Amino acid sequence: MKMRRVLMVSAVIAMALALCAGPGLAQEKVIKIGALYPLTGNLAATGMDCKRGVDLAVQIINGKYDLNLPFAKTEGIPDMGGAKLQIIYADTQGDPKNGLAEAERLITQEKCVALIGAYQSAVTKTASQAAERLKIPYVCSDSSSPTLTERGFKYFFRVSPHDGTMARNQFEFLKDLEKKTGQKVETIGLVYENTEFGANVGKQEKEYAKEFGYKVTADIAYPANSSDVSSEVGKLMAAKPDVIMHAAYITDAILFTKTFKDMNVVPKGFLNMAGYIESDYLPSVKADGDFILVRSTFALDLAKKKPLVGQVADLYKEKYKIEMGENTARSFAAPFVLADAISRAKSTAPEAIVKALEQTDIPGDQMIYPWQGIKFDPTTHQNIYAKAMLVQIQDQHYYTVWPWEAASRELVWPFPAWKDRK
Amino acid sequence: MQILAQQLVDGVLIGLVYSLLAIGLTLIWGVMNVLNFAHGEFLMIGMFLSYWLYTLAGVDPLFSIPLNAVALFLLGMFIYRFIISKVMTGPPLAQLVVTFGVSIFLANFAAFIWTPNYRFIGHTIFSGTWHLSGIILSVPKVISSVGSILTSGAVFWFLRHTRTGKAILAVEMDREAALIMGINTERINSLSFGIGSALVGVAGALLATHYYIYPFVGGTFGLICFCIVALGGFGSIEGAFIAGIIVGVVQTVGGYLFDPAYKVAIVFLMYLITVWIRPQGLRG
Amino acid sequence: MRNITGKQLIVGGAVLAVLIILPLLIPPFGQHVVILTLIFAMCGVAWNIMGGYAGMFSFGQAAFFGIGAYTSSFLLMTFNVSPWIGLVAGGILSSLMAAAIGYPCSKLRGHYFAIASIAFAEIVRIFFNNWEMVGAAEGLTIPMRQESLANFTFNSSKLPYCYIILAFVLFALAVCRLVSTSKMGYYFRAIKESHEVAQVLGVNVVRYRLYAIMISAFLTSMAGTFYAQYILYIDPASVMVLAISVQIVLVAMLGGANTVLGPVVGAAILIPLSEYSRAWLGYKGTGFDMIIYGVLITAISMYRPNGVWGALAGVVRREK
Repeated sequence: MKMRRVLMVSAVIAMALALCAGPGLAQEKVIKIGALYPLTGNLAATGMDCKRGVDLAVQIINGKYDLNLPFAKTEGIPDMGGAKLQIIYADTQGDPKNGLAEAERLITQEKCVALIGAYQSAVTKTASQAAERLKIPYVCSDSSSPTLTERGFKYFFRVSPHDGTMARNQFEFLKDLEKKTGQKVETIGLVYENTEFGANVGKQEKEYAKEFGYKVTADIAYPANSSDVSSEVGKLMAAKPDVIMHAAYITDAILFTKTFKDMNVVPKGFLNMAGYIESDYLPSVKADGDFILVRSTFALDLAKKKPLVGQVADLYKEKYKIEMGENTARSFAAPFVLADAISRAKSTAPEAIVKALEQTDIPGDQMIYPWQGIKFDPTTHQNIYAKAMLVQIQDQHYYTVWPWEAASRELVWPFPAWKDRK
Repeated sequence: MQILAQQLVDGVLIGLVYSLLAIGLTLIWGVMNVLNFAHGEFLMIGMFLSYWLYTLAGVDPLFSIPLNAVALFLLGMFIYRFIISKVMTGPPLAQLVVTFGVSIFLANFAAFIWTPNYRFIGHTIFSGTWHLSGIILSVPKVISSVGSILTSGAVFWFLRHTRTGKAILAVEMDREAALIMGINTERINSLSFGIGSALVGVAGALLATHYYIYPFVGGTFGLICFCIVALGGFGSIEGAFIAGIIVGVVQTVGGYLFDPAYKVAIVFLMYLITVWIRPQGLRG
Repeated sequence: MRNITGKQLIVGGAVLAVLIILPLLIPPFGQHVVILTLIFAMCGVAWNIMGGYAGMFSFGQAAFFGIGAYTSSFLLMTFNVSPWIGLVAGGILSSLMAAAIGYPCSKLRGHYFAIASIAFAEIVRIFFNNWEMVGAAEGLTIPMRQESLANFTFNSSKLPYCYIILAFVLFALAVCRLVSTSKMGYYFRAIKESHEVAQVLGVNVVRYRLYAIMISAFLTSMAGTFYAQYILYIDPASVMVLAISVQIVLVAMLGGANTVLGPVVGAAILIPLSEYSRAWLGYKGTGFDMIIYGVLITAISMYRPNGVWGALAGVVRREK
């Protein structure tokens, strides 16, 4: 009896040990990078979108592809003896305390030399704090809160534009529009979910509205994931702004679109974000999404002017059987930026990578974004070239409409009334 | 003024859906003193059933109501028989906690088998809007509310006019006395759990006509439902029905008049004030 | 049960020794799990005072947790007040809030109380989510300061955090034991059995219920302050949500409500399970970790409805 119990206990311990020691036997030269995303829970669908982007980037770096992307034509990173990238994923469940814990685990236990990801800014905050404390570089290409690069962190770099830049771009668009077509916009209605993300966007938009001389007639913060948004839409109807700017994740984006249509809300234009460009949005609302403008860093139609975008998008579609979307495209950037820095540093020592990151200068033609390139500001470590463009949904696809020179379709403005549609 | 009237109408429409959800919850509570925290997840399953019937077989959500009701009835009975009945004699805390486990399991299991993606049934037989002297009525929402009223009415009738229904009410009033009168309380328990779940199934089909569907959608409705049930008085069907409408209106009109950021807080505050004055809820 | 036996002393000492030595031997993630376990153990012990002994099932502890986290962080960031003072200030503020909400709720029982506590916590969360002075929805990022005990900040190692929260838990356990063995503890149990009977016996039900809530709020608030100093970022969506309240109830229930050590055991099972299963399985994105978690909660409520501590304690007693 006693013997059996002892045997069983030792068996369990042995199994546990085997589980712990399992993956430690790699013999090929690999560079481990930790990636944090909300892979389960409320935002799991978005987290998986991001993960696919990172996976594709790593596949291109590690394999041989005839693409004008860094390290695509070679296997692995030549200057590191052909070393390959290996991504160790960690699930944050969208909780800041998990972001901190998983970042530390990736660094101290999995021995990752750099971190990427997190998507939600609140989680990126704690995760990058852990990286800063442990002196490990963190390259973020998917969180947009301006505060992230205002903390004076030494090890934190951001590739994508932040909400401040994007809010600014929205108002620049309105000015450009007036210049080009003479269509004047005077009043703005802001509606944003009351979370770290939404509240920040709202704050930035208020500031830039003031700077650019627009009047904010509705400033509506509302609880995310509401079961009903009649009162929010009612407030907008009462204020009758020329342009509505909505910041929300996908659930609210769907609900608002439906309610706008039902209540026949027709401003001159919708300038929305985030949820409106997630991969499940258009399949959900279908034609009701048409003519909404969304801020973005990527659109499939960039392929017309930049064949690289089409090649990558085809590769993506072949692999996952779905279209490449904005979240995927943003997360796609970070592995390249890190690989480039590691290659130039010829080392995986954190200090060397950070030094190389500071000298990053990736030209625009080696990216799938419409930017001039990637170059980090010496103090904030924000990519100085990062900016947003505006895409408009037409015939249930996203088309670039602004900046004018990048446009692939003519902007439809003002927003056509709901009843005039087929 | 027009917009305010619009808010009132929208409040009643969403309130009626709340009512149906809350009646299912309050029935379970009244009969067996169990607070079902997995109620929102049952709703999610109902919505997914409608979605799959629509996507795979082209069945309109409205026609999936009977099937939903039967499926959720069976699921409810199953969960009662194999899980809830096991804790009925245990300490009250275990009864409170057990359904949390079920809810976490169901939501994540759904995410595993159906992926965490968001889904939406685009076009049902009823879509569009009606215009009534300046007030805009969303047709799917009106259909949902009518469905909710009819279903609630049916439950009412069933409880008052059938033998089984009367037995359920008897158990709700006094379990011991009902037992002495020869009522099989165990059977009544599992029946009520089944019926409570079936009502959520119906609500799921109704909501599926105009609402997004994903594995964690239950959380959106769960919390507000508890507030409604407690406001109406645990176990009171009429109370839950009325409280549902009140909450819908207070949330919508309150949000419009004050600040949408506080609309849920207004509902909870109203609940606290009500139970401060009447600790047993409106009709408890 | 009033006196601690020699045997219990030995077992207790051994557990304590393990808890002191263990953090020295494990990697930082393990230390994080220990810290998180102890945070929730402390909240569970605090919940137990009002839930397990006095019979008030609160699902709103997150409000006190959050008030603790916010008070110390706000005082530190605006007036440069030491978090140690903030710790006490937060505790007092939480207790006052608890009294203010507990008094009108004094007639509520059972599930009505549970729902009222959820309503209260949600109102507090929404209020903080809109309150500009404390950062509203953006939350507060607590600056990394000079590492020292006086600053309640440690950057290079997690060990000091481990031992501080261990001391907190011991303090909470001492309070809990003191309460449970004192006259107050008997009053609490009388109230739990029946308000009417307690009233007849001469217990001032309203007052003693308030005492239970206030003590519980104070201890929960301490855990909240610790969390803020440890994670260094707080927002209403992470420290005041229902999920925290539920986690606290689960810890207490699964370990064994109504026993001094039950919540600690509950936390020791639940938190490592959810942390390690997320670390091992979470990256696949299948949600297996949460599925296992749900099954475990259901199974324990079904087969160990009085918590696992009861069963464990039984084993210890039998093997004399």
